[in-house]
This record gives sequence, C-alpha cells and structure tokens, in this order.
Amino acid sequence: MTAVSSWPEALARLKAEVPDAITGESARPGVLAVLAVPAPSIRRLATWLRDEGTFSHCSLVLGIDWIDHMEVVYHLWSDALKGYLELSVTLPAEDPHVDSLGGVWGGAIWHERETWDLLGIRFDGHPDPRRLLMPEGYKFHPLRKSFELREPEELEVKSRHV
Amino acid sequence: MSEMWVNMGPQHPMTHGLWNLRVKIDGELIVDVDPEIGYLHRGIEKICEYRRYNEVVTLMDRSCYVAGLAWEQLYFIAAEQALGVEVPERAEYVRTMAQELQRLASHIMWYAAYVEDLGLMSPMLYGMRDRDLVLDLFQSFTGARMTYEYMRVGGVRNDLPVGFSDRARKVMDWIEKKLVEYENLCERSDIFRKRTVGVGILKAKDCLNTGVTGPMLRAAGVARDLRRDRPYSVYSEMDFVIPTHDGADAYGRYRVRMEEMRQSIRIVRQSLDWLDRHPGRVMAEKVPRFVGTPSPPPGREEYVLARDFPKGRGLAAMEEPHGEAVAYIVNEGNEHPYRAKLRSPVFVNISAAKHYMIGYRVSDIPVIMGSVDVCLGEADR
Repeated sequence: MTAVSSWPEALARLKAEVPDAITGESARPGVLAVLAVPAPSIRRLATWLRDEGTFSHCSLVLGIDWIDHMEVVYHLWSDALKGYLELSVTLPAEDPHVDSLGGVWGGAIWHERETWDLLGIRFDGHPDPRRLLMPEGYKFHPLRKSFELREPEELEVKSRHV
Repeated sequence: MSEMWVNMGPQHPMTHGLWNLRVKIDGELIVDVDPEIGYLHRGIEKICEYRRYNEVVTLMDRSCYVAGLAWEQLYFIAAEQALGVEVPERAEYVRTMAQELQRLASHIMWYAAYVEDLGLMSPMLYGMRDRDLVLDLFQSFTGARMTYEYMRVGGVRNDLPVGFSDRARKVMDWIEKKLVEYENLCERSDIFRKRTVGVGILKAKDCLNTGVTGPMLRAAGVARDLRRDRPYSVYSEMDFVIPTHDGADAYGRYRVRMEEMRQSIRIVRQSLDWLDRHPGRVMAEKVPRFVGTPSPPPGREEYVLARDFPKGRGLAAMEEPHGEAVAYIVNEGNEHPYRAKLRSPVFVNISAAKHYMIGYRVSDIPVIMGSVDVCLGEADR
C-alpha cells in the first residue's frame, strides 16, 4: 500500500477500508475536513488514520459542553497532506464517555486527562485517569456551563502523593 | 539500592516556573518521572467565555510571559476566522515582524537561562543584555516590555513609530554579530558539550507519537514548521529555511534554536523592507477598536465592528517559539466565544517527559528540562 497523497484519496480509501466509521463529512476553511464520528468507532478510525492516512500527529483533544449534549473534538495533523483533520464525536450529557486514544497517539494522554479534569468526560481505557490541572478531590468540572465564575475560594487540597 | 521519589519543585531553580517534576531515582539513575502541573492554572479558557474578544488580550499576554505577542496573535487569528474579519496587509507585515522579534527575545531568554543552568555564568549576562535591546524595540511600538496588549481583532493597535525601521535594523545587525559570540562561548566549552551531547535523546518516532513539536521535533530531524507548512499572516512571502539537526539531544535543540534566531533576523529584515516600501499610517484606521460594543463612544462609530456575529468556528495554528500552538474558538453568535481552547506546545512537551528522561542521571535533569524550554504560564493557562 502506498501512502495517501491527497485528502480526497484518503477519504475514498477510508470509506472503503473502514466502513461505517464516519456518519458525516463537512468542509470548513482552515481544515481538510470535519468528520462526524460515532463514539464506538473512534479508536478504529484513529488507528487507520495514523497507520494508513498519514495523520501521525494528534495535535489537540478538547471537549465542548452543549448543555444538552457533549462534544469531543480531535485535531490531527498530517505531514504529507499539510493540514488538520477535525473529528467530532457527540456524546450524551449524562455520563459522557468515549474510548481513549492514548494507545494510538501518546500525545493524546494529557489532553484527555485535561478534558476529564475540566469537563468531566471519561475516556475508557485511559492509561492515567487522574486530574491534571485541578487538585485531586475537587468537586467540580469547571469548564462545564453549569459552573459559574466565582470569587476565589479556599480549597481543601489533599496531597496527591503519600 | 532502594528506589525513592524526589520532588523537584514546585520551588526549584531547575523548573523555571511553578511546577513539580517528581522523579523516581535509584541512586543517581532516573527510573521514572511524573510531571505535575496546575500550579499556575488561572482558568483562562473559562474566562475567555465571559469576555469580549478584544478584552482577552491581557490574558493572552500573561499566558506566556516570554512570548506574549505570539499568544495574542494566535487567539485573534482564530477569532478573525470565526467572525470573518479581514486584516489589512500592512498589519500582517507588522504582525510577522513582531512575531519574529518575539521569537528572538524568547530564544535569547532561553539561551541565557539554559547556559546558566549548566554553570556558565557569563553567557547569561550577554544574553540578557542583548534581549533588552529587543525589549526596547517592543517598548517603542507597543509601549510595554513584556505584556504588550498590541494585537487586535482585525489588525494591531497602532502603527510603528517614526524611525523604527532604522533602530530595528541596528539591533538586528548587533544581535547577528553577537550570535557568533554566543556560539563560541558554548561550543568551545568542554563543559557545555560534555553535558549536552547525547543527553535527553528523543528520536523522531517518539516525537511524533508523543506530539512533541517545535525545536525539539526539528532537533530530531523532522522539518515541520507551521510557518512553512501551513502559512499564516504573510509567511508565504518570506524567504527562510527550517533548521534541523540529527542529534535529537539537548545539543541538537541548542543548535536548532541558534539557527532559528538567524532565520528570525532574516524575516524581520524582509518585513522591514516591505514596510519601508509601503509607508503610510493606513492600518490603524481600518482596524476595529471595539468589537461588539453596543454603543460606541461619540465620534468613534467607524472604529466599531458591531454587527450580527456569525455562528462559526475558527482554528488558528502558529509556530510559537516553543512549538505548535493552536487556538480553537467556537462562536455561537455572541460577542464572546462559546468555547475557547488553547493548545500549548509546552504542555505537550512536558507530558512526554518519561520518554526523554528515564535512564539519565539526576545531574542531567536541569540539562534536559532546560533544553525543552518550559514556560509554565502557557502550559497551565
């Protein structure tokens, strides 16, 4: 198999080799494409994109709280195609969770930890599911829309290590 | 010998910022590391959701205190994309020049601090002296030396002052000469070479897997630079090369940064050439001063960009001095973003610490972490 050399070619091969992995495709300036991905197929799709689609670099993982649902957005960079690919996964508002991509790109591990910390989205199979920026034992996920800006408060910070 | 965990930080001369590197050591040997961040977390992404676009500029300055202009521009490129705002060409050249001056200041700061970490005192003094000249230039066109508040949605705050071009060229000539001295101080020093060559190796394959970018990636031989691969501003008009090194070690990162400074000087000169050929203070009039202000001050109506904000998303990616910085803005038709996300290159470079620290000695820790060039303000945001 030769590596893909353009995004339309990659998309055609993706549809043939990883069937049912994407449910929608749209365009936006600045990115190669925006793919809507059902949560169960994200790891399968990510592995294909890394190995066959030349997307060797996982740049960014972030979560968005839409109040009635959650969204996880991934940005992947390809050195061959010189562009970002955006993947979007929609999750329910109640107990949102999705497969971790920490095993596909090591660079996703801390982004996922941060997304869990700040938005409360769980990543199944994450190698290191601890809080990252907020202290261990903190009650809130502060980037959720239900968390209002507030005055500085005293925190009971438990030591992270014994 | 039994293994033990040692906390290097949050207060430690090696950290250059407030963070904690937990190191598991067996005698002198590092067997495991666990970087801990969050001490500087100010919730910038959350605050962005409550502030109008231009009001965030102060926070962006403070997200990285050695490269404030890079973060200002990053946020506003994303905002301009999400809102559909055009930037005048002259403002783009001013921005590009400011970015490269910022890279120069940041790299000289890195050089000064890093070489001092290794025990060589005089390069630090030379570095700080020359960085001050760049800060003087910043002061002359932004009014500040570190927290500039210079970029705006749709351009920059003000044009360059009279005589700026000549002063900037003099500083560039001076620094270009001094770079040779910097290199002589380091490369002719046995101490420097012995401590950096072959230390903190992170090969290209591991760089790609762990998402490491910037000088660390280029020191591993991968010539990825967003200024060339995904040009923003007017970098597509600029003539420069992407320096790489095949050492993948601390010495390679030092070499890459040294060459990057020379390329930055080249880009600054090219921007100044263009700005000299296209004089005029036309830019400031076209840049909206107020974004989304419902009732502008009397007589200032033309400066206001108040209209129906479209729903949209913007993705900006920039080669910041530390690596690939990304801003992602989701706008839901308001004068402030619904969600703003910043990707800090330092955040990711620190997260890969296990891959480039295990197997080295305790005395190598400052050498390795220094070569990463950490700035915790942007990692924690």
